Amino acid sequence: MLLDLLKNIFGHKRAADIDPELAEFRRTGLELKKNIHAVFGRSLAIRELDSGSDNAAEIELNNLSTPYYDVERFGISFVASPRHADIIVITGAVTHNMALAVKKTFEAMPQPGFVIAVGDDACDGGIYKDSYAVLGGADKILPVDIKIPGNPPTPLQIMKGLLELMETIRKKRKKPEKK
Amino acid sequence: MNTLGIILKQTLEARNIKCLLRETDASEDHVCIDMDSFAETLQFIISGQLLGLIAMWAAEDFEDHSGFTLFYVFENHNVQELLVLEVKLPDKSAPSIALDFPIACYFEREIKDGFGIEFEGAFDKRRLFLHEAYPDSFHPLLKSFENQALDMKPEEQKGSEYIFKEVDGEGIYQIPVGPVHAGIIEPGHFRFGVMGETIFNLEIRHFYKHRGLEKLAENKKPSDCIAIAESISGDESAANAAAFAMSLEKINACTIPERACRLRTILLEMERIYSHLGDMAGMQVDVAYPFGASMLFILREEILRYNALFTGSRFLKGIIVPGGLSRDIETEKLKDFNRYLAGFKTRFKEAFKTACDSSWVIDRFDTTGIVKHELVSPLNLSGPIARASGAAIDTRRNHPYGTYDRVKFNLPSKNEGDVLARFLVKADEIKNSVNIIKEIIDNLPEGPVLSQCSDNDGHALTVVEAPRGQNLHWVYVKNGVIDRYKVRTASFCNWWAIEHAVLDNIVPDFPLINKSMNLSYAGNDL
Repeated sequence: MLLDLLKNIFGHKRAADIDPELAEFRRTGLELKKNIHAVFGRSLAIRELDSGSDNAAEIELNNLSTPYYDVERFGISFVASPRHADIIVITGAVTHNMALAVKKTFEAMPQPGFVIAVGDDACDGGIYKDSYAVLGGADKILPVDIKIPGNPPTPLQIMKGLLELMETIRKKRKKPEKK
Repeated sequence: MNTLGIILKQTLEARNIKCLLRETDASEDHVCIDMDSFAETLQFIISGQLLGLIAMWAAEDFEDHSGFTLFYVFENHNVQELLVLEVKLPDKSAPSIALDFPIACYFEREIKDGFGIEFEGAFDKRRLFLHEAYPDSFHPLLKSFENQALDMKPEEQKGSEYIFKEVDGEGIYQIPVGPVHAGIIEPGHFRFGVMGETIFNLEIRHFYKHRGLEKLAENKKPSDCIAIAESISGDESAANAAAFAMSLEKINACTIPERACRLRTILLEMERIYSHLGDMAGMQVDVAYPFGASMLFILREEILRYNALFTGSRFLKGIIVPGGLSRDIETEKLKDFNRYLAGFKTRFKEAFKTACDSSWVIDRFDTTGIVKHELVSPLNLSGPIARASGAAIDTRRNHPYGTYDRVKFNLPSKNEGDVLARFLVKADEIKNSVNIIKEIIDNLPEGPVLSQCSDNDGHALTVVEAPRGQNLHWVYVKNGVIDRYKVRTASFCNWWAIEHAVLDNIVPDFPLINKSMNLSYAGNDL
């Protein structure tokens, strides 16, 4: 029992050797944490909104909360209601069947709120661009601040997108001060 | 073999009914009949009680018939080939078969939305994949409609209102849930009729994610449509890409290299492993046991990374193409994976034991969300749901494709039909998949992975066993482009099992029951 415990603590971590990204993920996460602290004051609440994705992007967003990534340590949490959210992360091209629900969800988010499009389809409609069933990318219906392309983007790419948003917000805030 | 087709042909001819047996691939028996003899043919099929309806679709201007043709696919689990009944419609209506084959209700509503074909005697004539946003007269799959972005505003709801089933009585109230849910989940609407905390009725309304995939494939070169097949459902991309590619390979009589065939099996089984790991973890999340879930999430993440290492995509996208694989996987990497799997097995066993040793987990799983065995055939249930409800069926076994007739695997099955049974079946399937992969890697021949697959005209039907159950693809190529692409995922049928499984359960158990079935919204909505 004790031996198992010690092995667990000091033993070889399999995660470490198949993961070249982990160090970079941690760096990005810490950088993001600093930014979240500056922009939002400690924590960032994200509401995920699926407007017609193929579900791969949702799996990656879910993965952000699994042990390998565990983004809560950086002050990020996924919340159950748009009313609790600072950011809406939207995945998938916006289908006509979802358009009204997407609009209502956005309207339920307190302002100022931000929108991130995750995945190729959400960015510009992707392969569905000319389909009768979709409006197009998320920006057809919501004010999108940042786009994270990918089919789907990896957890690291999503984190980098979040970082990009923080930097954009900080830049925007600085400008009025200069005036 | 053509057993089913020959029996049907002989029976029909004995009754002086004209029919035609088409020359097809050995995996399907294709019988053509007229609308006049449809009722009698159907009567024969019903009376035999040996065949279940697994799919139904329509096509416009199929081959030389101008107008609509209906296709009915029947399956007998003990016969390798599928029976396809092709019926040419003289006009825009057909008799409904939903009273004999309940699942046909959804197929018929789907066809009615797509083409405007009326089904006489149907007990449910509401629209299915077209919601209020679309005008009532809109039928996107008609050839007269050219696929294009429609100018519609979210606020304008042009179609007539969707009427839900009314459930009333003393103390009964409704809980509408969705389309936007509380977690990171796909959109869908659930309307519960509840008595106290007990679910009295559930009605599901889906198709919020309808992206028009079938129409999107039309008039495109077949080889350009693999991305469409992969986006049917992001976590079933290997299964759907393989089914689509196999359909084209059948049309072009293309044999793929042995190495590609075996590598495909590895990819398909890796997909099953990571999908089931996610389900088993999610089920534990839903009973508030994150420790047990974490052990499985860690394993899933590692498999996703091997996916990326082998194919460049964590979701196995872009590697399976008509004719084989777009790139080879180095044998060295596979051997490393084989070594990893040895450790994986032990760790998985440990994670599984952790869940099973936790009385609060088992207590919530046991006797929750029972899917009765009697539902399997009428609703055409397949995959782990069917196997957990006493039906030892698996497309890999019943209609072998690729290398599945040559690899050894068990068919786990349980009779209880509850959440626990599905949990146990999925655990067994992961172990089986690991063994299949190991066996293939140990005996993998060297050689090319891609052979030439041309773009000939024709049509072909393929069924595969995706992680969620049987997926069916039908591709019809005309003048070098896809004229009709029909996809029926396992989820399209399996979703309806949940309306029955939740009855008499409490509302807080719904997420758990839903997770244990892991149904795809994207794959259902297309």
